[in-house]
Amino acid sequence: MRIPFFNMFMTSPFEGLQEHAEKVKECSLVFQQAIECHFSPKCSTFEEFRDEIARLESEADAIKRRIRGHIPKRTMTPVSTFLIFRYLKQQDAVLDAVEDTLDWISYRSETKMPVELEKDFALLVNTVIDPIENLASMVAEAREYFKSYSEKQRAVVKDIIHTLHQQEREVDKFEDIIKKKVFNMEIDAVSIIYLVRLAEIIGSIADHAQNAGDMMRAMLSK
Amino acid sequence: MPQEIYVLIFGYIVGFYMAWNIGANDVANSMAPVVGAKAVTIRQAIFIAVILNVIGAVFIGSHVTNTIRKGIVSTDILTDPHLVLIGALSAMLAASLWVNFATWKSLPVSTTHSIVGAMIGFGIVAGGFSVINWMKLAAVVMSWVISPLFSLVISYFLFKIILRLILSKKNAFIWSLKLSPFFIGSTVFIVVLSFLFKTPLGKNLSIKALDALMLAFIIAFIFGFAGMKILKHFVKESNPHGAEEIFRFIQIGAACYVALAQGANDVANAVGPLAVIYFLVKTGNVGASVPVPVFLLLFGGIGIACGISMAGHRVMDTMGKKITALSNTRGFAVNFATATTVLVASKMGLPVSTTHAAVGGVMGIGFARGVEAVNLSIVYKIMLYWILTVPAAAVTSMVIFKILQFIL
Repeated sequence: MRIPFFNMFMTSPFEGLQEHAEKVKECSLVFQQAIECHFSPKCSTFEEFRDEIARLESEADAIKRRIRGHIPKRTMTPVSTFLIFRYLKQQDAVLDAVEDTLDWISYRSETKMPVELEKDFALLVNTVIDPIENLASMVAEAREYFKSYSEKQRAVVKDIIHTLHQQEREVDKFEDIIKKKVFNMEIDAVSIIYLVRLAEIIGSIADHAQNAGDMMRAMLSK
Repeated sequence: MPQEIYVLIFGYIVGFYMAWNIGANDVANSMAPVVGAKAVTIRQAIFIAVILNVIGAVFIGSHVTNTIRKGIVSTDILTDPHLVLIGALSAMLAASLWVNFATWKSLPVSTTHSIVGAMIGFGIVAGGFSVINWMKLAAVVMSWVISPLFSLVISYFLFKIILRLILSKKNAFIWSLKLSPFFIGSTVFIVVLSFLFKTPLGKNLSIKALDALMLAFIIAFIFGFAGMKILKHFVKESNPHGAEEIFRFIQIGAACYVALAQGANDVANAVGPLAVIYFLVKTGNVGASVPVPVFLLLFGGIGIACGISMAGHRVMDTMGKKITALSNTRGFAVNFATATTVLVASKMGLPVSTTHAAVGGVMGIGFARGVEAVNLSIVYKIMLYWILTVPAAAVTSMVIFKILQFIL
């Protein structure tokens, strides 16, 4: 920047948060397709989906580093930069958990899903998609709020955070059901560990989305 | 005397260089909030700034200038014309070099304080420390704190008011339209008063303070309601950012005034010393004040315009970098706070700088949580440069004075 006066202003970290959230949202569709593929009897493209997620994850990582690298210690932002970083960490953890899920599946890709669990896992994955996608709209609405500081807009963001909480409870419920079922099945111990852990990783996606919501709630505090 | 002709030619070159630097360093103060808020394009901003600065310089700019700007150095040193000639030249060159350095570092500084600092340097070399009016110097130092702080407070509260009364409302557009006479009116009020009190043309009209207040109030009242009618026509309710749109128009008005006033007031920083040289070469002696011919004002105005367009092209290069600056409401608050501060502080007799007030205004919005990101390290650096301006220009001026004394 070589302009007197203009150089006080810098690229907003919220710009980056939004971009990052969009990347997270982008991965939700790929994630869903990857899981559906894995459940189907003849899936040949699972690895391609996994690569796609890995690509999105590394792009999001670049955005994350850019945000962190471009906030000098002395920056004046509407919310503390500490909160922005904490939020970003949780939003990024969502994407990491998505990647972890596909990695975990790839370790035992030959194992087919037991038929009696197929429906439960499909439900679990479906429920976890919404919170991933909600993050992007939460960031967008929050930016709107920081423009106008209107109570109405604040309520909109708080509603999304509330929804994230509800969705997390929903996901927990399905995760519980799956774990209970798995432990009562007549299958080998390794498969039990595999399935329980799979349910847990998928469940953690919603946990991180909820945590991101909590961080956002802290940013909204007056 | 051929030597003096050379001095005059050199004076013209340095004067143009000074004017060019004023344009390059100062234009952003008036136009940055407008461009940052995307109220006008950069091309439009450059065009407006160039036209208004030239008009301000030629038609409102002072036709008489004090030989020593702001009376900070005693006129006792004016007895030797040769010394004054060298002094004016070295002050002008020193001030331009400092402003150019600051522009290169992309930090906004006060061009007025630069020339004042340079005059102090010349005064000390020519007449010793006793010629410095320390009270006036104290006023300069005070202005470093008072003008940004004052502007900060105004923009902070103004923005909070806009938030409370308009932006946070469900139908922000309706409220912004309803309250627009108040905001347009206050802007016009400040502009009219500044015009009457602060510009040389206004001073020539010599309207009494009370009459001026009345006049400003009446004009503000008329403009306020007429403005609302016009805005109602132009900005449609269906516009999702209607409230911001309304402030866009008010903001452009406020920025235009700042550009005009800048031309009127800052042209003397370049043309003042040049006029002294011109006068000395023509007549051979100089008093406490000299007349400034119109062609010199035009010369200064064109110099400023050249500086503006160069700076403007740089802005165009850098604006692509997604810098989030200000929305229209925030930009309006900054421009309004700047204009008000400059008016009030100069009424108090402080040698204020638009630059300091504008930076303070942005900080006010920042404290009100209105800007997504302001780089405070840069702000601290800007403040450091404000303080450095006077001594740096003074020392440079001393050195140049000694060199020129040796040559001439």
